[in-house]
Amino acid sequence: MTISSAPDQALVLAAIEQVWGSMLFASAEAWPAERAADFGSGVQAHIELRGDWNGRLVLTCDSDVATQIAGAMLGLGPDEELPELDVHDAVGEVLNVVGGSVKGALIGTWALGLPDVSETSEAPSRDDSFVVSWGDAPVYVQILPDAA
Amino acid sequence: MKILIADDSKVMRQIVLRTMRQAGFGHHDFVEAVDGADALDKVAAEAPDLVLSDWNMPNKTGIELLRALRGGGNEVPFGFVTSEGSEDMRGAAQAAGAMFLIAKPFTAEHFESALSGMLS
Repeated sequence: MTISSAPDQALVLAAIEQVWGSMLFASAEAWPAERAADFGSGVQAHIELRGDWNGRLVLTCDSDVATQIAGAMLGLGPDEELPELDVHDAVGEVLNVVGGSVKGALIGTWALGLPDVSETSEAPSRDDSFVVSWGDAPVYVQILPDAA
Repeated sequence: MKILIADDSKVMRQIVLRTMRQAGFGHHDFVEAVDGADALDKVAAEAPDLVLSDWNMPNKTGIELLRALRGGGNEVPFGFVTSEGSEDMRGAAQAAGAMFLIAKPFTAEHFESALSGMLS
């Protein structure tokens, strides 16, 4: 992975591809810009990076996608259900591992926060995010520097 | 042997346990701790033979846990299973007395490689 001083889309996408492949046994691909990314309600995970670059990574996905991600992490069958708390835990842990990978590729980044997960009914703007695929569903990713 | 798994993520504790089974270590006894402070208590109460700990945890981080154990004279074999695996962290882990650091995402082969000499 290329070493840089601030996270960019290519770096975060590479980390997501690695995590999708090794932890979730799925492939992640960039979502075509011209394709609509429908979103109802779901979960949003945040994790902070501190150092020469300060900000946070945010991952937002539909509730069904979050449940599927948690099931894939734990190797559950399609009929096995997880408590909502465990689904949030799983999505936060996915972002934690992505954040750890991103931190390792950044010069001068000395701290990774703990993931925080909450429910949301609003998808981020496509202008402020990029979208990766989970199967045939979108997952929104944001790289948000602290406000100056 | 008794193995303590310390991670604030319940899902990750389950995945570490599953991976330990896949690596052929499922016949050992496992105890779980939900953060670093809980792990410190569980080491005292359960006297595990090995600690597998996350680094980034509330209440007491993994490296604080390890330093507290060594500072108190406890030499229990200790390894990190963490989302960060930079050279700086590996160096800090080794200097504090850790046997190994396994970076997430991991595979059963990573656990086999780190633990086969000790657990087989």
